[in-house]
Amino acid sequence: MARIRLESAGKRYPNGFAALESLSLDIRDKEFVVLLGPSGCGKSTTLNLVAGLEELTSGSLYFDDATMNAVPAHRRDVAMVFQSYALYPHKSVYENIAFGLRMRGHPAGEIEKRVRDAARRLEIEPLLERRPHQLSGGQRQRVALGRALVRQPAVFLMDEPLSNLDAALRIAMRAEIKQLHHTMQTTFVYVTHDQAEALTLADRIVVMRDGVIQQIGSPEAIYDRPRNTFVASFLGNPPINYLEGFLREKENQICFARGALSLILPRQYSERLRGQAGRPVKLGLRAEEVDEHSVPRAGETLHGRVSSVLPVGSDQYLGFEVEGSLLFFRVGRDLRHKEGEHVALSVNVNRAQIFDASTGESLLWDGSA
Amino acid sequence: MKRIFLFCASTVFLVYVLAPVAWLVSSSVQQEAEITSRPPHWIPREPTLENFEAIFAAKEKQVTYETRRQGDPATGGYIPSTARNLVPAMWNSLIVAVAVVILNLVVSVPAAYAMAKIRFVGRSASIYFMLTTRVIPDIALVVPFFFFIHKLGLLDHLGSLVITYLAITVPFGVFILVGYFESLPDELDKAARIDGCSRLQTLLRVYLPLAVPSLVAVVLFTFLTSWNEFLLALMFTQTPASQTMPIIVAAFTSDFTISFSFINAAGVLAVIPPVILAVVFERYIVSGLTAGAVKG
Repeated sequence: MARIRLESAGKRYPNGFAALESLSLDIRDKEFVVLLGPSGCGKSTTLNLVAGLEELTSGSLYFDDATMNAVPAHRRDVAMVFQSYALYPHKSVYENIAFGLRMRGHPAGEIEKRVRDAARRLEIEPLLERRPHQLSGGQRQRVALGRALVRQPAVFLMDEPLSNLDAALRIAMRAEIKQLHHTMQTTFVYVTHDQAEALTLADRIVVMRDGVIQQIGSPEAIYDRPRNTFVASFLGNPPINYLEGFLREKENQICFARGALSLILPRQYSERLRGQAGRPVKLGLRAEEVDEHSVPRAGETLHGRVSSVLPVGSDQYLGFEVEGSLLFFRVGRDLRHKEGEHVALSVNVNRAQIFDASTGESLLWDGSA
Repeated sequence: MKRIFLFCASTVFLVYVLAPVAWLVSSSVQQEAEITSRPPHWIPREPTLENFEAIFAAKEKQVTYETRRQGDPATGGYIPSTARNLVPAMWNSLIVAVAVVILNLVVSVPAAYAMAKIRFVGRSASIYFMLTTRVIPDIALVVPFFFFIHKLGLLDHLGSLVITYLAITVPFGVFILVGYFESLPDELDKAARIDGCSRLQTLLRVYLPLAVPSLVAVVLFTFLTSWNEFLLALMFTQTPASQTMPIIVAAFTSDFTISFSFINAAGVLAVIPPVILAVVFERYIVSGLTAGAVKG
């Protein structure tokens, strides 16, 4: 159990590359935090700093109130699961799981008990005498989890633990990891570039890019109120659609306009957007924010041409040309549109996002998580 | 057709490599008269162990020009005046070789681990610098080495050989091990440290057990280099107290006369320790050498 605090943490490598400039992050005790971002965004570096595998070159790291900057990895109460599992090839499964306890001088009887318990919980008891090379990917993943959880650490770190598994297994393991967090009652920090994993597992998501935190917030907040176009684009499948245009005010209503298109923005946006008529903006529309069943109403409708229909089993993706832009929407599979057809699609404007056209910052963001 | 060619070629190669060894072993159990007979007898007519007995018996004898015919009936009467130095010289060689092997491992294992797994300024430069020292021929180093050893007061002392052989063998040892350690995933290193190992424990408990093939390669290379080395031993040792076997065996040819049977017997003794090492570690040798070579 530990609260983790990074204050203006910086990491610069000997070759001059700065992985992190000045990162501040406060992770609450027993929280499940996911660091999300593309490769090279500094999320793994952040995790390594917390683990003590790399040293901060500036700033501070605290566990609860203790400074950890100079504490080496083997003296920190952390456990970690790696993408490649990193099992010891020359040790049996049992010894792999027991190794961390042995190194920390636990009595033999307790080690035996804890290893057996962990093995039972992860359903790998029959494998205890095997060597890692005799196991499947999923089994290795479980051994790696077992090795971390027997330690009963204050901080549980995971570096893309599911990336090497196939899709079906990945979803099953997500559920298990969530369960594990629930029963272990300890702080989890989880690194991934998979937005679905982040949305499923996290209490809070930290979206990172080029060593800088873009946004911290609950999965709902990150998804519904992205701070900028980077965050908006990183979550959602298919990705969010953008339309460039202008703000316009008429009859006390604020509209988004592009060519013949005019969408009336919801009333709760007016406070932030008032008096900015003529400002070039980007409208963000998530793929699922069309309502194919409601009657098209003025100011909430996109008129355009269906350019492609892509069935994906449970539903279908529509390629939709509006005012010279190609958008993708996810609609139910019972909707029968043909390619080349001109249709009107009703849009859920209440969830539309408005970004500055040049900086990509959200004009709706109020600073709250 | 291709197979036949390959078979013939390997046979020729095998004969080329093994024939001298076979002749060495065969003639070591022949008497002087039989060795010099024509045509040579590949299979001894009257095998004898007298040559070997002579080596061990020579230990107590002071051989002079006058007494040289008394010692050894097998050699037809010839026994080199330095013969009694052979057994002590083998001990010297063994002591030097074992000391170099152990010290080499003590130095090159941690060095290789650091170079492979710890990012520090000048890391790759240090690896290349170390290898560069090895493209300089030993003969060019003899004089500086000599002054160095002289300053240390280690002339005619086994220590001089241990120091200089380490200078020769450590770079290769580090090179082979760096290549192997680099081929092991970094995450293994991280996992061990998270599991509670210090850097040293990580090295000893996780990396060393995995690096056995490479360690064997380093041990063999180091042992053979030290066991065979001639030039530096010739320069730095003057008396039987510190002379190694290659020096003593070489001296057999420049004595009052040449005793083929005696030299051959000494040669067989010289081959035994490396052969034992090779047999013991046989299954690791090939994999260890390539592991270092593929990545590095």
